[in-house]
Amino acid sequence: MKRLKQLLKWMAGLKRWYLLTVVLIIILQYFRTLTPLFLTHIIDTVFGSEPSALPNFITYFFVGGDVSRQLLVIATVYVVYTFIRVSIIFVRRYINAYFTENVAFRMRNTLYNKLQNLSFTYHSHAETGDLIQRCTTDVETYRVFVGEQLIEIFRLVFLVVMTMYQMAQVNIKMMFVSVAITPVIFIIALIYFKFVKRIFTKVEEAEAKMTTSLQESVTGIRVVKAFAAEQYEIDQFDEKSQAYLKEDFKLLKLMALFWGGTDFIIFIQYAITLSFGIYLTSTGELTIGGFVAFLTFVGMIVWPMRQLGRIVGDFGKTTVALERIDGIMNQESEHLNDAEDEPEIKGRVEFKDVKFKFHDDTKHLLKGISFDIDSGETIAVIGRTGSGKSTLINLMVRLLDVTEGDILIDGKSIKDINKKYLRKHVGIIMQEPFLYSRTVFDNIGIMDKKATEEKVYRAASLASIHDDISAFERGYKTIVGERGVTLSGGQKQRVAIARMLLDDKPVLIFDDSLSAVDTETDIQIRRALNEYWKDTTVFIITHRITSAMGADKIIVLEDGVISEMGTHDDLLKSGGLYSNLWDIQTSLEGDMKNIVKGG
Amino acid sequence: MNYIDEEEYTESKFDIKVWVRIFKMMKPFRRHLILGVLSAVALAATDAIYPQINRYAIDNIAATGNLELLPYFIGGYVILMLVIGLNVYSFIIHAGQVQQKLSYTLRKQAFDKLHKLPFSYYDKTPVGWIMARMTSDSRNLSDILSWGMIDLSWGLLMMIFIIIFMFITNWQLALIVIISLPVLIVVSIYFRKKILHAYRKIRKENSKITGAYNEGITGAKTTKTLVLEEQNAQDFSRLTGSMKNHSIKAAIFSGLYFPTILLISSIATGAVMYYGGNQTAMGFIEIGVLYLFIAYIGSFFEPVMQLANILARFQQAQASAERLLSLIDKEPDIWDSEEVIEKYGNAIELKKENWEELIGDIEFKDVNFQYVEGEKVLSDFNLSVKAGEAIALVGHTGAGKSTIVNLICRFYEPTSGHILIDGRDYKDRSLGWLHANLGYVLQSPHLFSGSIYNNIKYGNQDATKEEIIRAAKLVEAHDFIVGFDKGYDTLVGEGGARLSVGQKQLISFARALIANPSILILDEATSSVDTKTEQSIQNAIDTLLKGRTSFIVAHRLSTITSADRILVLDKGEVIESGTHKELIDKRGKYYTLYTNQFIEEKNKQI
Repeated sequence: MKRLKQLLKWMAGLKRWYLLTVVLIIILQYFRTLTPLFLTHIIDTVFGSEPSALPNFITYFFVGGDVSRQLLVIATVYVVYTFIRVSIIFVRRYINAYFTENVAFRMRNTLYNKLQNLSFTYHSHAETGDLIQRCTTDVETYRVFVGEQLIEIFRLVFLVVMTMYQMAQVNIKMMFVSVAITPVIFIIALIYFKFVKRIFTKVEEAEAKMTTSLQESVTGIRVVKAFAAEQYEIDQFDEKSQAYLKEDFKLLKLMALFWGGTDFIIFIQYAITLSFGIYLTSTGELTIGGFVAFLTFVGMIVWPMRQLGRIVGDFGKTTVALERIDGIMNQESEHLNDAEDEPEIKGRVEFKDVKFKFHDDTKHLLKGISFDIDSGETIAVIGRTGSGKSTLINLMVRLLDVTEGDILIDGKSIKDINKKYLRKHVGIIMQEPFLYSRTVFDNIGIMDKKATEEKVYRAASLASIHDDISAFERGYKTIVGERGVTLSGGQKQRVAIARMLLDDKPVLIFDDSLSAVDTETDIQIRRALNEYWKDTTVFIITHRITSAMGADKIIVLEDGVISEMGTHDDLLKSGGLYSNLWDIQTSLEGDMKNIVKGG
Repeated sequence: MNYIDEEEYTESKFDIKVWVRIFKMMKPFRRHLILGVLSAVALAATDAIYPQINRYAIDNIAATGNLELLPYFIGGYVILMLVIGLNVYSFIIHAGQVQQKLSYTLRKQAFDKLHKLPFSYYDKTPVGWIMARMTSDSRNLSDILSWGMIDLSWGLLMMIFIIIFMFITNWQLALIVIISLPVLIVVSIYFRKKILHAYRKIRKENSKITGAYNEGITGAKTTKTLVLEEQNAQDFSRLTGSMKNHSIKAAIFSGLYFPTILLISSIATGAVMYYGGNQTAMGFIEIGVLYLFIAYIGSFFEPVMQLANILARFQQAQASAERLLSLIDKEPDIWDSEEVIEKYGNAIELKKENWEELIGDIEFKDVNFQYVEGEKVLSDFNLSVKAGEAIALVGHTGAGKSTIVNLICRFYEPTSGHILIDGRDYKDRSLGWLHANLGYVLQSPHLFSGSIYNNIKYGNQDATKEEIIRAAKLVEAHDFIVGFDKGYDTLVGEGGARLSVGQKQLISFARALIANPSILILDEATSSVDTKTEQSIQNAIDTLLKGRTSFIVAHRLSTITSADRILVLDKGEVIESGTHKELIDKRGKYYTLYTNQFIEEKNKQI
């Protein structure tokens, strides 16, 4: 029941189209079983004097008179009947496609939006490859199941049922004889396809091993060559290819046995039906036309039976796929029950004894952080990797939520501010920014799609990236990302800064966002930006003392606590880590001399 | 140049030469191809014959009530059953083996060639391109030449047999049926092309959607912080919408195809009903003949549809074949001369018995080198290194550090000039000889999936267990290795993914040590590791360098202070050379580089 619900969930609102498809399928299978009866009619009714095997709505159009005229009408009706039949086939396929593609469309969009709304924590644990597979392969599995396999089952079942009905109309004994060993065919197919799935997995595993060996050898070609291991690699690959071949051959033998064997059995059914048919015809119990109809009817039962076994035996994939899709869908969106308040944000930020730990962790990453900063001021945070810098930032925009304590913006707890609204007003420039695979121009203008060329160019100039971009072969039209040019870390960082320049934000966070550009450029950019963002509250997270020293307030973060706080001058006087660092840098010349002496 | 675009199925003109080449490859297993085709012929014959048996039953037994003939009918059916069952078996077994053996051959030849190709090939060819040739192209091609070929012969022969039988039975009715054939073929080819085209578009859209998911997931943090969710959703919905529309369009084409075929054949059937019916009524032909012709029309469309399909796929397969052959036929630009191979063996078959010992004196004599025509990286470069010397190479990206290393390894050869090893041009001895005496430790160590043990052993396949453990101990890797539950049998995962960067480096040192090379290349790692590992690595490097001619591509200058000679490179020239002390005293380029790095490192230590 749960499975059925799972299955139908995605069809909501489209079910009537599906129903219509099924109805049309039933009509079509009935039509199809009429085809052989035209010849039966000619043989038995036109040439002989038997009542017609065709239903009234078709014989209605037939006329009496001489044989030639009768035949002409029958042939014409046959063509018209086929025309109607194929028209319905077409309509059925169209509706089917319309339905299936809409379901797939909906699934893809829903999953995409779901993924976008899942929490930062979820994303930092997720495996990209696995998620993509769920959104593509698993959706496709479901699409094929609903749009093709399930429909095929309906088609086959109704074909068999309708054929049995028509058989019974012609001769009931013949009908029973005709289905004598068909269940066997179904069962054999069912068992075979269930069993062969396991072999398939083995073959796939062997193939994967071969591909891995290939991939590793090609990516590690430097090592292979440097150790003169070519022959070894060739032997390894050959061994894995042979292993794959061996598994694949096992599968092949099974396949050959199954298809050859079932063909044999199917023709036994033919032989039984037809022999019995001949016998009945000789006793006069079956007309010749009836016998001719059975020549076709048998095929309409035995072949579908094998196919049916195949599909049913192949079941199970869809359930797994749906489970995996639900694995995403059942995750909670980070915007669920979010606050709706959208207060004006000026930029005064206050941390009040903020503590943070992950749910599944015992150790606190932040152990009571308190500080405040007025709007328009600049604050620098210095600390080692693992000191809690990034956590602090993630809390600011609610990528993570505080465990204890509170963060206030303009006196209002950020928990009570709408997340998206908050993020629109608190900008982050990350150390490893992500650029979207579109043009550089679009990347810079991503938050302001209507930005003019001048505006984008000016932003790029301010971020010292304009010259780099102009040097590209296609300038601002260069596509970045996977399918285009790969930008260096420093270039990406500067594009990220330019992109932020197109949007006015009261609070800005630089998360080590100039780490990949050299110190000189760093200072140059910062100087330009200080002017531009003079009314903005700025957080600078950095490991460069030169970047931090100009800030209104400097925080030194050590192991989740603030160890020092104050201005550059304050901290120098206090004699802590900060002043140590400063000493190291200023007394470098002395240090150098020692090294030189020591060799 | 742009390999990704080339990926799209190009439709090339039929090229007989390509197919001749491929058919030659199939020679060793042509038996399977022949037997497969023979089974297909037999099946085509039974498909044409069995309506004849039914016709016989209708006219001679059912219509006359002559039951004495029933055993003949049953006998005929039993033979038919056996022939079909056995031939389906044989058809699948042989077609399958052709497919398996051909794809095996293609992969093997390509793989062998890949290991003969020089380094420059890998610099220009993305791994993805190579993988696609080895997987999808080889599958495509072997599929079409096995199942495709054999299906083709089945379809063609079945049509021929049916046509022959029809003409033998009744030529007027045969003519009526034959008229529909060209129409069927034209319609089929038209639809196949349209459908193929439509699906190609869908595949493209599909890969775009996959790309968008990838972007949505890997860029999740950025999307959240920039609040681009809605905008992205709109863009994505445009993509999926276009995919939906194309898919529905494709469904219209394929939805029209079968009905059209059915309709055309129903016209033929109608004609046979009318004309044949009249003939039957007049007693010219039997009822069985009427049945026979209608049955034959029914058997016609499957082979026609299949033929159109296979022909369409042949075009694609040719593109696959061309790409694969381009790889297999690629001539390696760096390869030993005939005489050298004669004496020393090539890179793959080694003649170790003729190898001289490699001492380790290296000399660059007026070496010129360029990767791209007109862009010289080294010009008239001279360098002389004595056996056992440790040389550190320092300089910016593009200064020529890696080029020198690539030349020493003979991954590339000088454009002009010579490189002498132990006083002889290294081209006079084989690639295998050089590489067997060379150790190379990469910046980012590449491990192969398998156990730690096998990864160390990779350096020397003849190494004993004791030697491997000794090597691991020397580089201080032993302790962390035995710390794992399975010790040396621990699997490292694909690319060594289950180990830390530092652990991977130590294992790659052990691997180089076990090779006991006379020349060692060390491309120093830039990635940071914890202090303890750092110390182990430094110790391991010292162990490694002992008694070998070594070249260190240095990124962190603090690690090379003990080198015998430091070469500071700029634009392919040695601008400074000497020991650490000499260069610091000189207060030149090295001094500047060193002090700058020193500040950075101290900064990071806070």
